[in-house]
Amino acid sequence: MRAGKIILAGCLWGAVYGIMNGISNTVLLPSAPFISIRPQIALPMVIGIISHPSAGFLVGFTGNLIGDGISGFGLWKFWNWHLANGLIGFLPGMIVRYAGIGKIATVRDFGILEMGVIAASAVSVGAAVLLDYGFLHFMNFPESFPSWILPAFLTDAVNGFILVPAVLIMARRLILTLETRTILLITTLLVLAILSTAISITWSVWDDLVSTEAMIENFYLAGIISVLFIVAGFVASIAFIRRITDPVSRLILAAEEVEKGRYDLAALEPISRRSDELGQLSRVLQVMADQVRKRENHLLLQVQELQIKIDLDRKAKDVAEIVETEYFQTLKKRAKEFRAS
Amino acid sequence: MAKTIAIHSFRGGTGKSNTTANLACLLAGMGRRVGIVDTDLQSPGIHVLFGLDAKGPGYALNDFLWGKCEVTRAAYDVTAAAESSSGGRLFLIPASIRAGDIARVLHYGYDVNLLKEGYHRLIGDLSLDFLFVDTHPGLNEETLLSIAISDILLILLRPDHQDYQGTSVTVEISRQLEVPRTCLVLNKVPENFDRAALAAKVSAAYDCKVVGVLNHEDQMMTLASSGIFVIRYPDHPLSSEFKSIVREVGQ
Ligand SMILES: Nc1ncnc2c1ncn2[C@@H]1O[C@H](COP(=O)(O)OP(=O)(O)O)[C@@H](O)[C@H]1O
Ligand SMILES: [Mg+2]
Repeated sequence: MRAGKIILAGCLWGAVYGIMNGISNTVLLPSAPFISIRPQIALPMVIGIISHPSAGFLVGFTGNLIGDGISGFGLWKFWNWHLANGLIGFLPGMIVRYAGIGKIATVRDFGILEMGVIAASAVSVGAAVLLDYGFLHFMNFPESFPSWILPAFLTDAVNGFILVPAVLIMARRLILTLETRTILLITTLLVLAILSTAISITWSVWDDLVSTEAMIENFYLAGIISVLFIVAGFVASIAFIRRITDPVSRLILAAEEVEKGRYDLAALEPISRRSDELGQLSRVLQVMADQVRKRENHLLLQVQELQIKIDLDRKAKDVAEIVETEYFQTLKKRAKEFRAS
Repeated sequence: MAKTIAIHSFRGGTGKSNTTANLACLLAGMGRRVGIVDTDLQSPGIHVLFGLDAKGPGYALNDFLWGKCEVTRAAYDVTAAAESSSGGRLFLIPASIRAGDIARVLHYGYDVNLLKEGYHRLIGDLSLDFLFVDTHPGLNEETLLSIAISDILLILLRPDHQDYQGTSVTVEISRQLEVPRTCLVLNKVPENFDRAALAAKVSAAYDCKVVGVLNHEDQMMTLASSGIFVIRYPDHPLSSEFKSIVREVGQ
C-alpha cells in the first residue's frame, strides 16, 4: 500500500517534471548543449522530502526520461542523467530523514536542508560525470567542465537552494519560527545580493558571452564562486543566528524544567553571564526558579508540621504542676456544683 | 438553660477575641441574648472589635472584681455591632485598659470566686442564653475557674508545634475538671493546608472534636480589630466556617 502510494506519487510528479523539462529544454544555457535553467529541479527534491526519498528518485528518473523524450535527445541516450536526477530527488529526503528532521523549525534543520540540497546537486552531477567517463563517453575532459558539468551543477544547486524552502513553506513542512524566519531573511538577502550582482553583470556582457567561447569558462567559474559565497555566507549566518537562538532554546528548555518541578537552573549559568537581554532573561528565570523552590520547600515544611508530636513527659509534668495545687483540687471538687447552680 | 462558653488558647494572639466576637455576633443575629466577658485582664482586647472605649469613665470588669460596682453596671449593650434584627441582644463586659488597673491586677490579683458570682449575676440579670468568656492565655487561677464553670470549652490552636504541646495540657485539665464539652478550633491555618486532613489528625491526637478550621485570612488581618468579620464579610468562606462552629456549640 505504502509502496504503491510512493510509486504513484513518483510517476505522477515524474510526468509533471518531465513535461517541465521538455519545455525548459527549448531554452538552453549559453554554450551548454544539453543544460537549461531548470527551476523544476526543486520538484523531485521536495517530493523526496515530503513523501519518501524513493518517490523523489522516481520523479527525478522518470521526469528526466520523459523530458529527454520530448526534447528528442533520445529516451535512453543519457541514462546516466536519469540516474543523476533520481539521486537529486533521493538525497535531500534521505539526508533530512537521517538527521531525524520532521518539521523544519530550527536553524539547524534549515542548514541541513540547504546543505543537503547543494550536496545532492554536487553528488548527482558527479555521479553522472563518472558514469559518462566509465560507460558513455559523451564528454570530453576538461572541455565538458564549462559546457556541461558546471552549468548542470549551478542551475540545480541555485534553484534548489532558493525554491525548495519556498515550496516547503507552502507545504507547511517548513514552519515559521523565530529561528527559521531569521535564517530565511538572511538567506534571502544573501541570495538577492549575490544574484542581483551576478545577473546584472551577465546581462551587460551577454552578447559577448554567447559569441566568445573563451569567456564562457570565466562565466561559469564566476557562477561557482557565487555559489561558494552563498554557501560561506549561509554557514556564517547559521553560526551567527545560533549564537542568538541557542540561548533562547536553552531558556525554553530551562523554563520547561521548572514546569516539571526541577528548579536547578545551574545549566543557565553561561547565559546568565551575558550582559545582553538574554543574560537578563536568564538571570530572572534563575531567580524565579529559586523563589518557587523556596516556596515549595516552605510548603513541604508546613505539611510536615501536620505531624502532631506531643512530648508526653512534659505534658504530664505541666499537668501535674497545676493539678497538684490546692486551688485546683478545691476547684475540681466544686466544679460540678458551680455548673449546676 | 444558659450556656457558658469559655474560649481559651495556650498562647496569646491565637484569635480568641476575634473568634469570641464573631461567634457571639452570629448568635445574637439568630435572636439569642449573648454576653461576653473579657477576663483577659492583663491584655484586654475584645472591646476594640466592638468600638468600645474601655479607657472611658464607665465601669469595667475590674471595678466589679474590686467591689466597686455591680457586675451589670459594667455590661455594655453592643447589639448594634451584631446588626441583629431578630430581637437578639449582645452585651460586653470589658476589662479595663487603664494602665493602673492592669498593674493592679498584675500586682494584687483579685478575688477569683467573685468572678463566678459575676457570671451568675450576668446570666440571671441579663437573661442570657449564652455567656462567652474570653480568657487570658495560659492556665492561671481565673482561667481555671472559667474553664471549671463552663459548659463548653473551646480551645483555639494554631497548627504549630508549640500550640500542639500546650493544647494537650489544657485538654487534660478540662478532662479532670469534667467540663461537659471540650472542642477544638484551629485558627490561622495557612491556605495551602489540607483542612480535612489537619482536622482529622488533630482530632485523633487529642481524642477531641475539631469544630472549626479557620484559615489565615489576610482580610481578617486588614480588618484588624476594627470590626466583626462575619458582619463585614457575611458571604466569605471564613464566615461560613464561623457559622458551622455556631451550629456545633449553639444547639
Ligand atoms: N483567621 C485569622 N486570619 C488572620 N488574622 C487573624 C485570624 N484570627 C485572628 N487574627 C488576627 O490575630 C490577631 C490576634 O487575634 P486576637 O483575637 O486578638 O487573639 P487573642 O485574643 O487570642 O490574643 C488579631 O490581629 C487578629 O486580627
Ligand atoms: Mg484577646
